[in-house]
Amino acid sequence: MEMNDDLLRPQSPAPGLVNLFKVEDAFNLARANSLWPLTFGLACCAIEFMAGGAARYDLDRFGFGVARPSPRQADLMIVAGTISRKMVPCIKTLYDQMASPKYVIALGGCATAGGPFKYPGQYGILEGIDKIIPVNVYVPGCPPRPEALIAGILELKKLVIAGKTQGTLSPAVVNDSQDARPADYKNAISRADFRKPPAPPAAAPAPAAS
Amino acid sequence: MSSTLSALQEWLLSSVKPDEFAERDPKTAGVRFEALVPAAQIVAVATRFREAGYFLESETAVDFAECVELVYHFNRWDRAERCCVKVLVAKDGGQPGDGTWRAPSLWPVYKSADWFEREIHEFFGVTFTGHPGLKRLLLPESSTIYPLLKSFKGEPKGSDVEQSLKLIGEDAAGFDLNRKQSLTCKDRDFYLNLGPQHPSTHGVLRVLLHLTGERVIDAEPIIGYSHRHQEKMMEIQTYPACWPNMGRLDYVGAMSYNMAYALLIERAMGVSPSPRVEAIRVLTTELNRISSHLLWMGTYLLDLGGFTPFFYCFDDREKVLDILEMATGERLTYDYFRFGGLDKDIPAEMLPAIRAFLPEFTKHLKDYDKLVRKNVIFRKRVEGLGRLTRDTALSYGVTGPMLRATGVAADLRRTEPYSIYPQLDFDVVTAEGGDAYARYVVRVREMEESVKIVRQLIERIPDGEITLGKLPKNVPKGEYYSAVESARGTFGMYLVSDGTLNPYRIKLRTPSFSNLSSLPALLPGCLISDVVSVLGSTDIVLPEIDR
Amino acid sequence: MTPIPPVFEELIRIVLYGTLAILFVSVNALFLVWMERRVAARLQLRRGPIHVGPQGLLQTVADAVKLLTKELVRPYASDRFLYALAPVLAFAPLLGAFIILPLGPGAIIRDLNIGFLLLFSLANISFIGIFIAGWSSNNKYALLGSMRAVAQNISYEIPLMLSTMGVVLTTGTLRMTEIVAAQDRIWFILLQPVAFLIFFCASLAEANRAPFDIPEAESELVAGFHTEYSGMRFALFFLGEYTAIFVSSAIAATLFLGGWQGPLLPGPVWLLLKTYLLVLIVMWIRWTFPRLRSDQLMAFAWKVLIPFALLNLLGTAVWVSMRNLLA
Repeated sequence: MEMNDDLLRPQSPAPGLVNLFKVEDAFNLARANSLWPLTFGLACCAIEFMAGGAARYDLDRFGFGVARPSPRQADLMIVAGTISRKMVPCIKTLYDQMASPKYVIALGGCATAGGPFKYPGQYGILEGIDKIIPVNVYVPGCPPRPEALIAGILELKKLVIAGKTQGTLSPAVVNDSQDARPADYKNAISRADFRKPPAPPAAAPAPAAS
Repeated sequence: MSSTLSALQEWLLSSVKPDEFAERDPKTAGVRFEALVPAAQIVAVATRFREAGYFLESETAVDFAECVELVYHFNRWDRAERCCVKVLVAKDGGQPGDGTWRAPSLWPVYKSADWFEREIHEFFGVTFTGHPGLKRLLLPESSTIYPLLKSFKGEPKGSDVEQSLKLIGEDAAGFDLNRKQSLTCKDRDFYLNLGPQHPSTHGVLRVLLHLTGERVIDAEPIIGYSHRHQEKMMEIQTYPACWPNMGRLDYVGAMSYNMAYALLIERAMGVSPSPRVEAIRVLTTELNRISSHLLWMGTYLLDLGGFTPFFYCFDDREKVLDILEMATGERLTYDYFRFGGLDKDIPAEMLPAIRAFLPEFTKHLKDYDKLVRKNVIFRKRVEGLGRLTRDTALSYGVTGPMLRATGVAADLRRTEPYSIYPQLDFDVVTAEGGDAYARYVVRVREMEESVKIVRQLIERIPDGEITLGKLPKNVPKGEYYSAVESARGTFGMYLVSDGTLNPYRIKLRTPSFSNLSSLPALLPGCLISDVVSVLGSTDIVLPEIDR
Repeated sequence: MTPIPPVFEELIRIVLYGTLAILFVSVNALFLVWMERRVAARLQLRRGPIHVGPQGLLQTVADAVKLLTKELVRPYASDRFLYALAPVLAFAPLLGAFIILPLGPGAIIRDLNIGFLLLFSLANISFIGIFIAGWSSNNKYALLGSMRAVAQNISYEIPLMLSTMGVVLTTGTLRMTEIVAAQDRIWFILLQPVAFLIFFCASLAEANRAPFDIPEAESELVAGFHTEYSGMRFALFFLGEYTAIFVSSAIAATLFLGGWQGPLLPGPVWLLLKTYLLVLIVMWIRWTFPRLRSDQLMAFAWKVLIPFALLNLLGTAVWVSMRNLLA
């Protein structure tokens, strides 16, 4: 993902003949004020996303309220919740299906880095969506309050106006040589040790050995 | 002990001849008796239980060094008579998943065993003979791990990305394979994936619909897109560290799940909290139940295409959240209860806030109900839809408002009283019909009952300590079961403790899991519009199903 | 200077009127979307767009510019030509409505003797566009949506036409100006209340508006027939929907609410006022009712609207012939 970031940034007026940045700036301004999120929730954070769209917080005030269920029409993917590995291909597909320019907000701890469900040796989740798709804004919290979500979108708005929409991908660790699995994993105990000597059945004769 | 149960016990002892049998104190262990029966007999035992009117509340497994122990919990609707039956699956040097660890399937007796056994199969590698489709339930199809076995020592760092990339590859390959398949196939029927990303699946559920035109022939819910390995996680954490997990299971009605965990550990330790703690617990739980049902009401009407109720319900829900936030500091994933107490006492401004809220909310609820119920489109869309019969409910282990909508007054707050519910005056709401409309009626009236409970409680919260001080960090060796009535139905927790600082095995019996598994019985014959409506009326929370 | 030949004169007029119509439609749609969002917010205890421009008026402008600059995605398995054609086909015919819309006495582009029959014929083309959109996307949700749209259109076309026939019988003409002129004493909504209600319901369905919005039923079919459309193509469908609402409201205002007639204010203002009032009611209905199921929708058309429309037609015919006999 080593693209030339500078090309996408508006710069101070270059001494060129034609300066096309103004048009691009106007487009960016329009994009920044019309971030339509994808109707898409994974877990707890999705409820806060819904609350953000509801009456008290009303994302629509800023023009972010037009949640589109089809990825083709959405500009902003709010990854709200824990990313289970089974879900990763779906998220990737959805991201690919979105039309450019597209932006990603990682809402909450799970989407950012695994959140409370991250522990050494875990088998179920992907620790942060930025290992698969580039993320523009991270919103911390577990789950973040709707105010935090609004702040995150407004932060994204600033980035879009400034043209800094490259997003970040975290360096994905594959096949780490340092296997740091803890000793917390118990060994199986013997059932015979665990069970107290079986109580004799009340009415029946002594049971046959299993 | 009722006559049915004693007859059953008699029969068990005389004809099945259990290898082990022990009567247990339901106040601590949560079950009436435990019996270890030979594997060949379990189907006969289950059939007998089913005939006596018991449903399969949970089926799970515990991994031991020499065997995998299958644990079945049977329970009744009308009174709490939970019975625990066990079967041993000897390991005998076999490998998980290779088919040598075998047990007979309960699927012919209880349909709910379908998903329970698939789950045991994928987590423990036990093969069930006679099961119709033994495949992975919660993990991706291509997984090779059996994570709840103690021999599973975790995956190496970076495997999350590795597996994710592998799954993306598989997904792309599968897409290429299907790409050629045209819409204009000769057969009139086709398959449609509803989800995992769909506005009306309430999270990441995928329903594979087999359709002819818009009419559903068959439906298969595919779950696991929100699997967060909570059970394995809890085995690795200490007991207090499991609290946040309880808040994130069913984030919409988290207090009930807090309640179940508190109840479980307090029973195991033999302590009981002060009356003040109990009152506050019930108060917050019932407020949370209101907020949960409000969220359901809003989103259900959104599923039916009515946008505005969503905003009204959420507005009132915000007010409940404000009140709960005063006590807990959280809006959603409550982590408020502690063993023998609470995180902190309720603040002084909370009770006046509730007093101000209640009359306003009662009025709003009445208005909303009138607006919704008198809307002819709503009535036409939900009446007679997704009809659940009692027999199906028994077979699938359906609980909660869905069950009560079939006219069964099954509510653990009354049938297996815990905390201070016996001292409170409230009705168990039921409705006749078992259709989506009956479920709507039950949930709305349950909010009224919750208001009634809250109203009683705010007048008589006793003084007292909110904590019991220092408690031991471990739980005595043994097995414990606790169950509470959450907003969605019976939430049960089964704990096997080996006496150390962390649980040996915790099984979370979540209500939506069984409720959702009944979907294939409800959907055939519906239109696509009805699928959304039926699905909405079951009130599921996906991370609670996937755990 | 030679006089301009009549052919060129006509050509210039067509271009001029066409440009004006498109300009009006675009600006009007932007305004209607803003209005819709504010009305919805008002009904839902919210504020709606308020931060972009004064009272959020620039919100929809920002949306439009953004949609213009978005990538046009085309699904791999779609039909390339039809996929691109569909949005145009869905939107463009609605512009034809402006040909016959009388803004004031004499202020009409073409006062055709087939009047609004032309409009309904054109509106049907836009349904072909919707069907093509669903078909060419090669997406099951889109296909289901377009199938629903076709079924719905065919069913609701009948009560729509039948209800207007009441007015036609009363006035004895299809010419829009004469229909308006015939309402100088009493509006047809008073003479033909049943016809008005039927026309209103059917035009809601024709415009795919809630509670008849089953072709795009968001909670069922993701986004219905335009699931696979992005950027400006999607915007054209959007534009088409709002233009359809405006046009059907304008036609309803003309046929039943006396068109341009009203005291003090000039004719076009009256027409716009009446039209926006009807649009407001359309929005109000959308944010109030849940959605019908497709079979219920059909049943409503065939078992309720059409019989009543026929009865209304019969009653009108009897009344008109009685009036003619007495006169």
